[in-house]
Amino acid sequence: MLAVLGVAIAAAMLLDMVMLATGMRESFRELLVSRGYDIRLAPKGTLPFDTDATIPGVSAIIATLRSNPDVREISPVLGGSIHISARDRDVSASIIGINPTVQGDYELLSGRDVVSSDAIGANDYLLAKLGARLGDTLAVATGYDPQTRTYSGQRRLVLAGRVKFLYGAAEQAGAVVKRETLEAMNPDRTDRASLFMVRVRKGANPDSVRSWIETRIPNVTAISIATAIAEVDFRLSYFRQLAFILGAVSLFVGFLLVTTLVTVSVNERAGEIAVMRAIGVSRAHVVQQVVLEGVAISLAGAILGLGLGLVTARYLNAILSAFPGLPMAIDFFLFQAKAAWAAMGLLIAAGIGAGIYPAWRAASLPIAESLRREAIA
Amino acid sequence: MLLALLPVALLLQASAPLQIQPRTIAVDEAFASKAHLHVGDRVTISSRAGAAADSAETAIVGAIVRRGADPSEVARGDFVARMHLDQIQRLSGYGDRVDRFAIGTRSATDIDSTLARLNHVAFGFRAYRSRDIAVETSRTFQVVSRFHRAIGVITIVASSVFLLCIMVLKVDERRRDIAALRLMGISRSSVVQSIVIEAALVAVLGSLLGVVIAWAASLFINWHYQALYRTPLHFSVITPPIVALAVGLSLVLGVGAGLLASLRLVRTAPLALFGR
Repeated sequence: MLAVLGVAIAAAMLLDMVMLATGMRESFRELLVSRGYDIRLAPKGTLPFDTDATIPGVSAIIATLRSNPDVREISPVLGGSIHISARDRDVSASIIGINPTVQGDYELLSGRDVVSSDAIGANDYLLAKLGARLGDTLAVATGYDPQTRTYSGQRRLVLAGRVKFLYGAAEQAGAVVKRETLEAMNPDRTDRASLFMVRVRKGANPDSVRSWIETRIPNVTAISIATAIAEVDFRLSYFRQLAFILGAVSLFVGFLLVTTLVTVSVNERAGEIAVMRAIGVSRAHVVQQVVLEGVAISLAGAILGLGLGLVTARYLNAILSAFPGLPMAIDFFLFQAKAAWAAMGLLIAAGIGAGIYPAWRAASLPIAESLRREAIA
Repeated sequence: MLLALLPVALLLQASAPLQIQPRTIAVDEAFASKAHLHVGDRVTISSRAGAAADSAETAIVGAIVRRGADPSEVARGDFVARMHLDQIQRLSGYGDRVDRFAIGTRSATDIDSTLARLNHVAFGFRAYRSRDIAVETSRTFQVVSRFHRAIGVITIVASSVFLLCIMVLKVDERRRDIAALRLMGISRSSVVQSIVIEAALVAVLGSLLGVVIAWAASLFINWHYQALYRTPLHFSVITPPIVALAVGLSLVLGVGAGLLASLRLVRTAPLALFGR
């Protein structure tokens, strides 16, 4: 029982590490493709919303992009920060200005979208901080100057909708308005955007469109889903490598444990095996039995380890979800059937491998000597 | 933030000689390596990518510096250029403004009172202890630390079960020797004692070997990740308390496993151990 528990823990660890190695990339990819935008344009040398930098000339960029027949839809996004006076305190939040007909940044949970220039949408975290409800009018200010404690733009906006930001972190107060509204509140940001999202025509190659954009618009960095995933891969390569190393160690420990168990079992049953061989049982049959024993232990451990692995994955995922600025939708440990099958397959392969040495020992036992030793014992 | 605002487009300059001696800047090693910059090179600096020449200025690379260890920047891969304050204020259009002041006090005991005095008279700013800011910017590493601790606990549980299994099996494999010893008149306590001592010895030797392997792995991990993320940060550190914990835990588990297995065997009749 202790041995099966040992194999189960190794299997759980292996499953977790397979989930970690593949999960975050898959989770990030799912997030990027969820709204169908294939390319993101950020200020040159930056990633989307990595800095406060913006791209000037939104109208000109849209006109340039429209000249490419492979570009189907363009969604410019302007980011910023706001201060909302609520009762006796000021609440700070990040805000995006979008075009509601082509936006790909949030889901509307309730209420209506920000279709009018006096409408604002907020996520649950901001609503809780404000203690506000849909229909309330909020005094929203931008361009806070801490030295003079003044704002460059102030407006009264009606809380129209409750939204969930796809790329928002867990404890991040966020709001959304029409891009024109945010521009009007930030005169120095007129005709500027923090990000463009571009959807390409079905059948078109996003990478060739991306290259075309970079040659036509020199002050942007065009990021396709593949390049974004490559960047995330680099930033989080530590976790993938850790997953690979710990997964390999788990597999090796499982292998070693099964080998030890089956070897001890063969040693214990040396007499029994010698008798079987003496009455005509073939070597192949003995090998088969011993290998099957290893596979059975691995399988029992793997089944037990599956449940254990899912519980520990959930716990570890909760720890890593606290990464500052990490979108809520990103999971480090994502359960995928293929990951579970991969872990199970690896463990069974290790079980077969683990049975080879004891099976060879069992098959090559000297029959007469083993019987004599058994009789003396 | 000021530096982050400046996605400094440094372009090797091939323009006409300037009337005024250009100012110097310092760039970090990674930046110098990527842009093939050397001390003495002339560069054109702008706060905007692809900006026209009239909004850019020329500078000379005066130094190539190694960046300090900063956990908050570890995986970002940003490049850093350091400039004179007035130079960056002019270039970014920031005017006579700064993002922060760093203040040194005469003695450590002055910090609290200085902080209180500054915040009392503050207008448009707030003073913090450097330590508090460091804690805030280390949140990424705090999460990683918590993750490592959790993985460590799982690994310890897995190793413990593994060690217990191996010890129990190892002792069980010798049941005939033990039966022979018992039949020869060796007392139960002597048998238990000898097995426990052997188990403790194996556990200590195994854990010492583990420490050596861990030390080699730690060297490799630091070498690899320092090169990958271009940082002097240490990713793996083996401290005496960690070694003591590993050896101590291994010893406890070894002794426990030896005791468990030997007690089970000495309580069984010697002939039964022989299979009779």
